[in-house]
Amino acid sequence: MNKNKIWWSSEQFWKKTAIWVTALMFVILIFLSFDTINKITVGSNRVPSYSVINKQISYKFDTKRNFQVPVISEQDSPLFGKKLTEEQAEKLVTHGKKIVQGRNCMNCHTLLGNGAYYAPDLTKAWLDKAWGDEKYREQLMINFLMEPEKNARTFGSGRKMPNLNISKQEAQAIIAFLKWMSSIDTNGFPYNFNAISQGEK
Amino acid sequence: MTINQFNTQNLNVGQKLAIKYFSVAVVLFAAQILFGLIAGLQYLQPDLFYGVLDFNVNRTVHINAMIIWMLYGFIGASYWLLEDETGISIVGIKWGHFSFWLLTVAVIIVVLVYLFIQWGPGTDATIWFINEGREYIEAPRLADIGIVICMLIFFYNVAATVSKGKVTGITGVLTLDLVALAGLYLAGMFYTTNISLDQFWWWWVIHLWVEATWEVLVGCIMAWGLITTLGASRKIVTTWLYIEVALMFGAGILGLGHHYFWIGTPEYWFTVGGLFSALEPIPLVAMVVHAVYDSGKHGFKSNNHPAMAWLIAHAFGNFFGAGVWGFMHTLPQINLYTHGTQWTASHGHLAFFGAYATIIIAMFYFAVQKWRGGVTIRGDLVDSGWKWKWSLALLNIGVMGMTIALLISGYEQSQIERAIGGSTWLGYFQAQIHPWFVEGLVWRQIMGYITALGFILLVWDLLTIGKKEPLELESKVA
Amino acid sequence: MLQPVELKDFFITFFASGIIIVSGALYALFYAFYHLKKIAVLNYLAYVSYFVLFISVLIITQTMHLDKIWTIVVIAMLVGYFLAPRGIWHLCVATHKEKGYEQK
Repeated sequence: MNKNKIWWSSEQFWKKTAIWVTALMFVILIFLSFDTINKITVGSNRVPSYSVINKQISYKFDTKRNFQVPVISEQDSPLFGKKLTEEQAEKLVTHGKKIVQGRNCMNCHTLLGNGAYYAPDLTKAWLDKAWGDEKYREQLMINFLMEPEKNARTFGSGRKMPNLNISKQEAQAIIAFLKWMSSIDTNGFPYNFNAISQGEK
Repeated sequence: MTINQFNTQNLNVGQKLAIKYFSVAVVLFAAQILFGLIAGLQYLQPDLFYGVLDFNVNRTVHINAMIIWMLYGFIGASYWLLEDETGISIVGIKWGHFSFWLLTVAVIIVVLVYLFIQWGPGTDATIWFINEGREYIEAPRLADIGIVICMLIFFYNVAATVSKGKVTGITGVLTLDLVALAGLYLAGMFYTTNISLDQFWWWWVIHLWVEATWEVLVGCIMAWGLITTLGASRKIVTTWLYIEVALMFGAGILGLGHHYFWIGTPEYWFTVGGLFSALEPIPLVAMVVHAVYDSGKHGFKSNNHPAMAWLIAHAFGNFFGAGVWGFMHTLPQINLYTHGTQWTASHGHLAFFGAYATIIIAMFYFAVQKWRGGVTIRGDLVDSGWKWKWSLALLNIGVMGMTIALLISGYEQSQIERAIGGSTWLGYFQAQIHPWFVEGLVWRQIMGYITALGFILLVWDLLTIGKKEPLELESKVA
Repeated sequence: MLQPVELKDFFITFFASGIIIVSGALYALFYAFYHLKKIAVLNYLAYVSYFVLFISVLIITQTMHLDKIWTIVVIAMLVGYFLAPRGIWHLCVATHKEKGYEQK
């Protein structure tokens, strides 16, 4: 019964270790979180300001980073033909996001890959080829959101979005939110995405 | 003391409250399975309840019922062991009962709102009273506040009892873990339009609950179980609880990084998340050694065989669900294809069941045993224990089957939709109608029915087991 | 910097990743049983398991392109999974000895 003090197997040692390890990891997490939050505030390189909905958004392969990134063009391409101030844009996108939350979209769709898997991912919905031509995209999106059961393209799966009583004004807000979301730099997710303006690959 | 009958005289004050929590947990477990079955069926028959009870409603109830029944299980388990651990009666138990009823009424209202109101306009009122629309934490803000109040009362019961009674390693860790548990919930309680920031904080709640604080809570329950049912030395068990906390938090806290690959967050999370994800299975592997050591040195003796069997199911389920299934798609080089596909569903089913459902079911068995006055529940039951054995088998086969079926669907999805289809909507639907995917979901549904059957047997068994069994002679049951 | 897995390597990547964890556990299992029972073949099986783990790590190093900074992850796995079960075994022995706990 000599051995009572093997320091590395004593209760006290592990109690202290548990506390220090937890504290250290937590401090590192806090530090990284501060840095990350800085880099993902609206208006940063990774998450553009809401007025990006006034611009043309496209998608391009970045050879240095080895994945596709959103490209925001200089020239104007205002949503629904109406150029908005930063404030107006924020208001519209905010309304859109609140509708997306209130209609519980995330329990069928994924946003940034999180949510349910019953319906397609919405991260780059604005850029999807399903809208055919950029000219008709806005109108097609409004039609779809307002009367999904009539405009559904189920590609043979039989799955249709239910009618959620979305008004025209609400549809526009949702589309503003989707357009803004498509401009976020998601490190190349979803992979290999073939955007509406990119042509066949 | 009444033997063989359910009689609350057999229980201490905390345990009386615990069985209330456990009872509601079983009801919510039933709701989870029921709505899971409906949602699964909608994949196969999209017209089922279309426009009445849509997929998003069923799925919301499915995942919320799961989180809440597990929370009920953990709260119940904590009340169950608190008096044994501290040696005194629970301080402020009246508040504990009040909090139970508050939480339960809140849960009922929230579920009724989910089912019958379903959605609201894009206003703050919707977020406050109907649905927050964020996966797992859909509960409206008002209910969030109710949940926080209940958690604070729960915390008060635990902390006040611990500080007044005997402070043990287990209750010390438990108290601190509850602070973290309640604190983290606040990270999910504010609105922001910035979807990247929204998801950033959302993962603080989801990951740091499920992969850190819940794990430690389970560690506390396990430690208590080892001491009271197997007579393990308190000093050794406590030392190991600290070792486990060091390993779990050491890898788990920064393991959060594996959720920050694709939500707009910077690229350094690739390496941070990748490294700590690779380290996360180490505690699981290390535990294998300890289990072997203990079984070899002490052997397992138990007067509650179903509970022991579920604890073993917990060890395997946790290892395969969290360890193997988690690591298969965790590194960003492959997660790029699997993130947001049925892969995640496959991993989620086995990990939640293996890590948490199993251990709470074991607690249920400990509870009914004591509730009936400490009967012996060994292999030589009068009915040879066919009900618990079959429910154990059916539940495990059912969940494992769903996991493998979803894995096949997810594997196909990562190829057809992501790698080949370019992740567009067309690619998505091409993957959804592919025979592999459809077959996988058919089998998932069949396995879901098997799970439900196992659950029905489980409830039947919990209500009847030990009815005709003798009282253990040197009854040392907790 | 990220070089995603190629489509042809999907299956082998998933498979090898799963095998890493399973063989890691088998290594731990055989290692512990060997020290308990002192049967030589168990020790042999432990090293075979670790060898399988080693090969699987090398396979995903190839398919997932774990080069440059990712080498840290590879080393962490190879060293961590090798040492952890040993460390835990010594801890088991030491913690149980400390109590002066004699099993009967």
